Amino acid sequence: MSAEIEDIIKRFQNYPNVVGIIIVDLFAIPIKTTMDYNLTVHYATLVSNLLSKASKMVHSLDMTNELTSLRLRTSKHEVVIVPEENFFIIVVQNPSE
Amino acid sequence: MSAEVEEMLKRFQTYKNIAGIIIVDNDGIPIKTTLENTQTVHYAALMQSLVVKARQVVLDLDATNEFTLLRMRTLTHEVILAPSDDFYCIVIQKPSD
Repeated sequence: MSAEIEDIIKRFQNYPNVVGIIIVDLFAIPIKTTMDYNLTVHYATLVSNLLSKASKMVHSLDMTNELTSLRLRTSKHEVVIVPEENFFIIVVQNPSE
Repeated sequence: MSAEVEEMLKRFQTYKNIAGIIIVDNDGIPIKTTLENTQTVHYAALMQSLVVKARQVVLDLDATNEFTLLRMRTLTHEVILAPSDDFYCIVIQKPSD
């Protein structure tokens, strides 16, 4: 699993717009990060919370459906959250416009 | 305001991939919809809490930042949530890939 994670981080770090990447386990504990620690923990807890809420919502609308990704766009950044089997990937990027 | 809303709805309805559009006011009551009643109310109720949560997450991370868009990608659809001052807009579309 950690080789897979290293691979993901390496792949995304090459994009110029990426501000930071956080890999969080299913308990909202950051496993790997490219950002500073306090910010990482802050993102991890808030985003995991939002993700579980969104996930529950999708299930409640349609039992067979599943959330595959979540994009939160703000005036300064875009946060992309992808749930995988054993972890979540959170990528913070500057929208390229 | 309602002429603006009508125009927006008409514009979006012409796109083939759009399964439905719901416009909800700040109290969670759907004002305009292109879907049937029960589904609309179901979506509006669930999205209400998600919008509030997403806004909190963004403000918590950075008080100067503003939540502008939320995109949820699921296996079958993509749901876009666009908040505005007096209302928010939910668009459900079938992704074209």
